[in-house]
Amino acid sequence: MSNGGEATGGEGGDSGLVDLLRRVAARDEAAFAALYRQTSAKLYGVVARILSKGDAGAEALQEAYVRIWEKAGDFDPAKGSPLAWMATIARNRALDEVRRVRPASLEDMPEGFEPAASPIDPLASRERSEALAALLDCLGRLDDEKRSAVLLAYYHGASREALAKRFGRPVPTIKTWLHRSLAQLRDCLAS
Amino acid sequence: MTVAPEDDFAAAEFALGTLSPGERATLSARRLREPDLDAAIRAWEERLAPLAEAAPPIEPPGDHLAAIEARIRAALPPATAPSPDAAVVALRRSMTRWKAGAIAASVLAALLAVGLVAREMTRQASPREYVAILQKDAASPAIEVTVDLDKRELRVRPVAAQAPPGKAYELWIIDAKLGAPRSLGVIGAEGRSTSISAYEPAVVEGATYAVTVEPPSGSPDGRPSGPPVFVGKLIPVGP
Repeated sequence: MSNGGEATGGEGGDSGLVDLLRRVAARDEAAFAALYRQTSAKLYGVVARILSKGDAGAEALQEAYVRIWEKAGDFDPAKGSPLAWMATIARNRALDEVRRVRPASLEDMPEGFEPAASPIDPLASRERSEALAALLDCLGRLDDEKRSAVLLAYYHGASREALAKRFGRPVPTIKTWLHRSLAQLRDCLAS
Repeated sequence: MTVAPEDDFAAAEFALGTLSPGERATLSARRLREPDLDAAIRAWEERLAPLAEAAPPIEPPGDHLAAIEARIRAALPPATAPSPDAAVVALRRSMTRWKAGAIAASVLAALLAVGLVAREMTRQASPREYVAILQKDAASPAIEVTVDLDKRELRVRPVAAQAPPGKAYELWIIDAKLGAPRSLGVIGAEGRSTSISAYEPAVVEGATYAVTVEPPSGSPDGRPSGPPVFVGKLIPVGP
């Protein structure tokens, strides 16, 4: 029953997860349980960094798996890895929660978070896909501050306002940073 | 795929997560009826998704598999219950129609305005006011719930949400301390106010609020007869 962090980090492999998702799409509950065991720590890692307060992370995790059950038939292995597909679902649940209609809270940004410690899993190298290698390469070409801003937004759900506060720049400047950085990433990935 | 450059930036920020709540909700509504925009958002999600894969795992507190399976079962039509699924199917159809309509963005904008106005109005009124917008997702119609803990009063009203013909919406308060969901009554087209003095403030604040489709006079046995069609939690709007 236990699914330790290391075990879930790389267990299963893409083809194993693709097979599990296919069975989940066919309403195989045992496959769903296996999928949960292999991926829950990974998905919780995604939502918990965005929803650091209270039980919101666990709630988003549950919602994400309900959605994965409902949408498993939509997964297309040609468009990305199964883990990326599931992580995107989980992340969107978490973002919907932090971006619920209410003023952005500056407190959402954890104090003392160091951009240098942006959570790239050093143990995940064996599952580092070509896609990740390319993305990291392109991120590496951004200025340090702009890369930090993109990673803080992606991993911690930082809002424009939170980024403005952190980097001591006005919100419109942050917006410009993000647009330039994202355009640069898009062009770099396309090349 | 062809979208205007500003839409591609909006799609990129949607995937990154930095859109404001209003922008995010608006884009969620637009993508339902703009396939190019939807494709642009998906393309950005795919570009950035490898980062999510690279995040170190964190063991969730407790095992959620049983709870997830229970939620999945609750979302499936019960095999033995007296066919509440018909109502759900009818509601899904009406939701589909609603989505297909061209009103998504404008209704949503109005909805957001309502939420924001309600917040502004209540901010001076009472420090112990809460609001929840119960929605299936950011692009669906909604039920607005406001709670005044000082007056122990809960007000609920539909916003662009209409129960299927011959059916009614019923509001439930759900909290582990309460055990089974407790009914807060049938909502009605104009909404209503109800006393919540029977519930501890901490329960009221932390509970999940859910809406189900029921017969016009409410659930016959005091329990939800189908899965919730709207859910949400309260957000404090006081200073």
